[in-house]
Amino acid sequence: MEILGKHLQPLLSKRFCRTIATKHTQASDVRPLPVLEETLNYLLNVLDSMEHPFEVVHDFVFDRTRSIRQDLSMQNIINDQTIHMYEEMMKFHIISHHKLLTCSSRPNFSSVHYLNMEQLKKCLTSLYALYEENRDSNSIYENGPEFWSFHVFLHLGSNSQPLGESLSLWLSHVPSAILKSKEMFFPRRLLRFFRMGNCKRFLCTTATEASCLEFYIIEPYINEVRALALSCVNSCGYIHHPYPIAHLSKLLMMKELDVEPFCNACGLEISTDEQGNKFLATKQKNFHYPKDVFPSYCLLGLEHFER
Amino acid sequence: MAYLSMGEAHRRITEYLNRFSDVVLNQDGSSLKQLLSVSSNSPLLLSLADALNLFHDYNRLLKQSDRFSQISEIVSPLFRSIQNFRLGNLLDSYNAFEKAANAFLQEFRNWESAWALEALYVIAYEIRVLAERADRELASVGKTPEKLKGAGSFLMKVFGVLAGKGPKRVGALYVTCQLFKVYFKLGTVHLCRSVIRSIETARIFDFEEFPVRDKVTYMYYTGRLEVFNENFPAADQKLSYALTHCNPRREANIRMILKYLIPVKLSVGVLPKNWLLEKYNLIEYSNVVQALKRGDLRLLRHALQDHEDRFLRSGVYLVLEKLELQVYQRLVKKIYIIQKQKDPSKAHQIKLEVIVKALKWLEMDMDVDEVECIMSILIYKNLMKGYFAHKSKVVVLSKQDPFPKLNGKPVNS
Repeated sequence: MEILGKHLQPLLSKRFCRTIATKHTQASDVRPLPVLEETLNYLLNVLDSMEHPFEVVHDFVFDRTRSIRQDLSMQNIINDQTIHMYEEMMKFHIISHHKLLTCSSRPNFSSVHYLNMEQLKKCLTSLYALYEENRDSNSIYENGPEFWSFHVFLHLGSNSQPLGESLSLWLSHVPSAILKSKEMFFPRRLLRFFRMGNCKRFLCTTATEASCLEFYIIEPYINEVRALALSCVNSCGYIHHPYPIAHLSKLLMMKELDVEPFCNACGLEISTDEQGNKFLATKQKNFHYPKDVFPSYCLLGLEHFER
Repeated sequence: MAYLSMGEAHRRITEYLNRFSDVVLNQDGSSLKQLLSVSSNSPLLLSLADALNLFHDYNRLLKQSDRFSQISEIVSPLFRSIQNFRLGNLLDSYNAFEKAANAFLQEFRNWESAWALEALYVIAYEIRVLAERADRELASVGKTPEKLKGAGSFLMKVFGVLAGKGPKRVGALYVTCQLFKVYFKLGTVHLCRSVIRSIETARIFDFEEFPVRDKVTYMYYTGRLEVFNENFPAADQKLSYALTHCNPRREANIRMILKYLIPVKLSVGVLPKNWLLEKYNLIEYSNVVQALKRGDLRLLRHALQDHEDRFLRSGVYLVLEKLELQVYQRLVKKIYIIQKQKDPSKAHQIKLEVIVKALKWLEMDMDVDEVECIMSILIYKNLMKGYFAHKSKVVVLSKQDPFPKLNGKPVNS
């Protein structure tokens, strides 16, 4: 693979090995921390390169970062550098989570996306364990609260226990200082809006307050929220007051020309009157949640995040 | 402490050994348990501890007589545990007790009847309590606390011994409850699943056969798990069982049950009376209840803020937050009632602007669009019956039963 610099080739060539038997592993097989750090830095630079299609780069970095994590956990190193490395790898998974959406034409795309999500969750869980082990040390992790907040975002959506544990239980163990930090304030509010079904506030708050990384994690849930809003309009709206597309566009925070395809994806028809105005007639019978999460229609106000 | 002579120390130890040996011979379970409760600081064990700390060569005493050969595997580490506990060496005390407990379990297996069940309960209790204290000692010197986890493993072994067809099986629920306490303390509550499965599906167990005290504790913990998972009907059923069967004089236990039952009941539309909250010192819920009665969103938010830490720690914060929808329902109902008094024929039509104004009085800044969104959710979840007219910005309520009661069921998800 031409991506590799020649001098790093032997180090980067170490692939993730699923069935590593620790008995047979030599000390020389496991790369020491400074080497792993250098490898990771190189991989992160590779991510930015435009030479190759993203899916190709993703596959490579995905495998090699998993291998790095394997080497780290075998050595059981717990320090600032390890934490920093896990945080960087988290960012890779989150960015991939978003960028892979643009590769939806690829045949095995949804499994690539799923596997990335799996590793994202594993990486996050390991990161929290590292934070926990380091709790008594004096160093304060600048990024701590941001990474705790990702756990909350992952609980948006209808899967009530995506990480196999109740969110309430998880919250009961998070240190109070983290829970009250401003980085946690936003995800907690967003969660409240989601659980209430307050679609308007959910979408507006995301558009105005989400950072780039936060947006990437929230992104898959946006269409679910929009679908709920649409469902409410359809089932509770007055049958003689069809809902204009322009208003739907504002409610769902999507471009007007995206509204009709989104409604169609939810099994709803858009009608046009004699003047050519488009609107949604309510009390239609065929509403369903969209079958594909993708494409994710652009969220108004956050176009700049969608590269 | 009065001066203790070697002779007196020797006497105390021998007396304990004789008593232990007799009690085992006579299969006297309730006497045996008193000899095992290391953490209780009973006069008997305190005086024994002092004797052991003076007369260190007690193992020689154990070897002296054949009478003690059966019990020496248990008593030798037990002595070490008692001795260390007295000295405040909690880690050493735990480690020794674990050995004694394992030895006891071996003997227990061989005793056919369930005569020693109460003593086994004490072993199960003590191993957990001593492990907690050992972990605290470890943490205080910057080491990883791991003894409670070990106690959990031992308790699983005990469970295995009791999970059989004979009379000993009635002790399984007590051990289960000790395991729950361990897992809840460690935060590893997912481990509860396998014991729950054994208790609830194994054919050897008949839930009704277990002692009431254990059933109450079991329902309390499984009810709490349902609260974590927001399964309100199941949580209601279990915690209510615990409440009705709990000894009414155990006020501390009743308080613990109510602490979790109240948020569950609120979620299904049942409000506690204020005297209940006052009697059991649960006034952190007072303003939440008031907010639901008054439709006062601001009060709910303040109540959650004031007791945020407490609610988060007990895992009920998200449950209480979700009550907001019911508070909105109450607010709209009040507006409806006022309108009905002014003009009954038009009461069922509520302008969104009016709701915006009411919310403004509560210091909640919401525009008409957001209010429309909330109204549509209330209708969608059957908290209100009717529809919203987008063009005229009005909510039109059904003339029949516009605000359906929850009737013991949670809000539709």
